[in-house]
Amino acid sequence: MITNLVGHHHSHAESPVHRLAAELKLGVALVVILGTVLMPATATNWFGAVGGLLVLTIILSRLPVLFLLKRLAVLSPFVLGVALVNAFQPATGAAWWSVALKSAVCLVTVILVSNTTPFGKILRVLQRLRVPGLLITTIALMHRYLFVLADESERMRRARASRTFVPARRFHWHTLATVLGQLFVRASERAERIYDAMCARGWK
Amino acid sequence: MKNSIEVTNLKYRYHDGTEALRGVSFALAPGECVALLGPNGSGKSTLLLHLNGLLPEKHSANGAVRIHGEPVTTEKLAAIRRQVGLLFQDPDDQLFCPTVAEDVAFGPRQFGISENEIAARVQKTLAQVGLAGFDHRATHHLSHGEKRRVCLAGVLACEPAVLVLDEPTSDLDPRGRREFKALLREIPATKLIATHDLEMAVELCPRAIVLDHGQIVADGRTMQLLGDEALMLAHGLEKPHILWHHHPH
Repeated sequence: MITNLVGHHHSHAESPVHRLAAELKLGVALVVILGTVLMPATATNWFGAVGGLLVLTIILSRLPVLFLLKRLAVLSPFVLGVALVNAFQPATGAAWWSVALKSAVCLVTVILVSNTTPFGKILRVLQRLRVPGLLITTIALMHRYLFVLADESERMRRARASRTFVPARRFHWHTLATVLGQLFVRASERAERIYDAMCARGWK
Repeated sequence: MKNSIEVTNLKYRYHDGTEALRGVSFALAPGECVALLGPNGSGKSTLLLHLNGLLPEKHSANGAVRIHGEPVTTEKLAAIRRQVGLLFQDPDDQLFCPTVAEDVAFGPRQFGISENEIAARVQKTLAQVGLAGFDHRATHHLSHGEKRRVCLAGVLACEPAVLVLDEPTSDLDPRGRREFKALLREIPATKLIATHDLEMAVELCPRAIVLDHGQIVADGRTMQLLGDEALMLAHGLEKPHILWHHHPH
């Protein structure tokens, strides 16, 4: 389940957008995001143009629209939390729409880039841009072990479910805390083993 | 000729006080293939980590472990790790790069070899482990057997003279196990294989070392040790099935 949420399911599919150079996609995404963040919400020309570009990209990329919406729903709470705070302040009530609109544009852009570009290619672009090697290694490792960690938590969830005999009446904070603690311990132990494995092959 | 591995009175205690190794001594001649047997928690993995210099945390000048006659010291670690290839128990720990080709190239790249040479080594070792054409596959999408073979390719790409393997056939299906054993047989390096797969020990390793409670309790011909039922049962092992029947062929 969690693997579903973190995976880039469509990054290896075929479409005109997938074939575009990763540099170009990352560059355009950066311009779109920066522009969107800096423009006032009243800049209808900008938002119209960006909206058109995004819709065109979605059509050309042949990504399922339902998949995009689901992704957006998964990522939105983080940003909308901030927007919600704004909504309850009378002075900035109008800002709510602006934050929601801007976040949606940025998220859709990121979702489009990450699902039409294999992760390795994004890393190579960063490498060519002379992003520090240590940072790239960290990002690459994070991406690699996200899946392992997701699998592990899924296995733990199943194992717990198989020994849960009474349907839960309420959300079990205690169990959740235990699972998170376990995951943390396992992740840090794995980190040590990975470091050993890296050293064994000459990492300095 | 110098021994590939020489361990003299090796002791190790973990931070929590567990005595993992209490005076282990043995030597492996070049080209030998030796099985390291023993129950869970007997100290096998701890011993293997020492051979690559991952343990102890601080190396002393007169260390207990020598590789080709050289003591494992902090200054010599890079050279030692180049000579000793270590295959870890969990392939997911060892495959930390996004793609197969990058992972296999990781070791050689650390040693400062040219990119052309690295690419050639990647192709050669992937073909050697039967995974030619897997270069751009994502490591997390491979089957367990494939992961294990990519790990081996990553170690072989460093061209080690000594190969140290931690339970290489655990979690493999019978076919995976058969193929992996055939692969190991083809590799000319000195091999030390920690395993619970006693049949593999019989098939691949003429000599076996039995470790229990951090001490070597037996060192000798695999057939003899594994045939000694009392010894096997006393140390959490058993006489493998293939030694029960004496077929005429």
